[in-house]
Amino acid sequence: MDLFSGLIHGFSVALTPMNLLFGFLGAVIGTIVGILPGLGPLGAMALLLSLTYGFDPVAGMILFAGIYFGAMYGGSTTSILLNIPGEAASVITVIEGYQMARRGRAGAALAVAAVGSFAAGTISLIGLSFLAPTLAMAALKFGPAEYLAVALVGLVIMSRLTGGNLLKSLLMIALGLALGTVGMETVAGYMRYTFHQPLLAQGIDFLPVAMGLFGISEVLVTAEQAMGKVQLQKVRFRELWPTFVEWKRSFWPMIRGSFIGFFVGLIPGPSPVISTMVSYSMERKLDKHGEFGKGAIEGVAGPEAANNASVGAAYVPLMALGIPFTPAMAVVMAVLLIHGINPGPLLMTEKPDLFWGVIASMYIGNFMLLVFNLPLVGVFANIIRTPLHLLMPIVLVLCLVGVYSVNNSMLDIWLMIGFGLLGYFLRRLNYDLAPLVLALVLGPMMERSFRETMMISRGDLSVFLNRPISGTIFAVGAIVLVAPPLIAWIKPLFKRGEI
Amino acid sequence: MNIGSIVFAGLMLAVGLVYGSMAMNMPRGSLAYPGPGLFPMVIGVFLIATALGCLLQELLPRVRGKDAAALSLPNEVPVAAEERNVAKTVQLTALLIGYIFVLKPLGFPLAVCAFLALAIRIFGYRKWLPTLAMAAIIASLSYVAFVVWLKLALPLGILEEMLG
Repeated sequence: MDLFSGLIHGFSVALTPMNLLFGFLGAVIGTIVGILPGLGPLGAMALLLSLTYGFDPVAGMILFAGIYFGAMYGGSTTSILLNIPGEAASVITVIEGYQMARRGRAGAALAVAAVGSFAAGTISLIGLSFLAPTLAMAALKFGPAEYLAVALVGLVIMSRLTGGNLLKSLLMIALGLALGTVGMETVAGYMRYTFHQPLLAQGIDFLPVAMGLFGISEVLVTAEQAMGKVQLQKVRFRELWPTFVEWKRSFWPMIRGSFIGFFVGLIPGPSPVISTMVSYSMERKLDKHGEFGKGAIEGVAGPEAANNASVGAAYVPLMALGIPFTPAMAVVMAVLLIHGINPGPLLMTEKPDLFWGVIASMYIGNFMLLVFNLPLVGVFANIIRTPLHLLMPIVLVLCLVGVYSVNNSMLDIWLMIGFGLLGYFLRRLNYDLAPLVLALVLGPMMERSFRETMMISRGDLSVFLNRPISGTIFAVGAIVLVAPPLIAWIKPLFKRGEI
Repeated sequence: MNIGSIVFAGLMLAVGLVYGSMAMNMPRGSLAYPGPGLFPMVIGVFLIATALGCLLQELLPRVRGKDAAALSLPNEVPVAAEERNVAKTVQLTALLIGYIFVLKPLGFPLAVCAFLALAIRIFGYRKWLPTLAMAAIIASLSYVAFVVWLKLALPLGILEEMLG
């Protein structure tokens, strides 16, 4: 199936009433999640994961795509109107967006953010439509050595790109990989780290870990912090139209943000957050009006486009290779796995309904978000008034029900609470949780690939470097790991004229 | 020097040592035919090395890197002043653990109702009557949504006989 017939088929799947309903629901839930501080798209998807058992996998994927895109739209609303970023990818929008609101241009900022998000979403979806099938075809040549290379180098790049402490990120990767080895090993059926507990034989499930780390720990952190009453800026519908000059100034930042977001989104790591920072820095450097920090519309248009574009791009490695590069994509992959579907290069040919249906539904969802987000901005912004004493207990109940209902297992609740506490402490100690979750997901696949490669090559480790694709991927990983400290070491020598 | 970070890194070092020593007792096979212990042994070494690195980083300030909190956000980003109330975290954790013990005997609707009432109070709402009303309404809606509509097999406990 070529690209255009694939997309046409995808639209025929996505436009069924049930899938449209799930797309709409996802967009609404995502917008609300984006608006509410303390519950990001990842937490919301982890919460709803167990419920997707009862859905068709296409509907589950469409729901989650809507949530992810919707959260990016919703996050900007409270950033601009309230000076409160609803989720991490909207933190940058606060800087210029709230300043615009204080100058009475909240409507223009919201409109530019929404249109920028729509344009970027569309550009990234076009990129996804072209790139995912191409990459999937190329990935058919991948053997276990290449899969190990992609997963390992992906983790290394992620540990470098989170911007935090490298050793702490590597420790989280090691912990995630270690957790991934718990349970019955698949080749010889050997029990590892189960401590004679039959329930641990299946291994540590991803769901209680993700819900604990991103759901429970979020609630525990939120419970500690006092939230004051919020002052909402009022926006009338007629104020939503930016002036011609504002449109003109926003156009190129939107385009630049879209491409930055798309390319950053292809790289492992918290791409929505990183892409907004890169876009903001670029727009600030290109600034000709001297308005940055005082409400520059470019500082809203660029980052808001970038975070949406990164969402579409994040689907490329998952749909084409079956490897998630972000924790959110790991949750999306779990939707497929619980229905017995293995994402990867064969997904496009074996499950065309799902592959193309999800991509087509993203186009529709992106349009839906633009249409209902702008007129209803006042309604959505008021959601932030929901009292925390009501919202947070409901989130906890959803976590408790969700995690129990998968296996009807009390052990899963214990694990979720345990990982919730671990996540709470790790957040307090400035550890990034994403590498832990990704390593847990990728660990078993990495072990399987390693053992298969070793058996095929009869124990020859050089096979990883001798095969052209895996060798290239490992070389890129080595450069990413070694280059920053090497540059930091060489730079002063250059300055002193010693080189 | 952050005591919490030192304790955590030390704990991870201990976990790494136990994990690695357990891996040593598993059949490792050879490189050509890797056994179930080979991959965990490599991870054990990695865990010990990174935990040791984090520990040294905390103990020796000269090698301390930048933290994840320094995710290079521009200075202008307003950050809410943190007024931490650790007691709430402890209470919520105790409540979550308590829920596990009462879920089967009390059943899902009653356990959730009690859980919600206490959680709402922990989050700072003090009036008992509205709290109980809110808890009862949300618990009823949860029952309808999860048990009746989604047909999840949640324990009904003492309500099982009453509800048939």
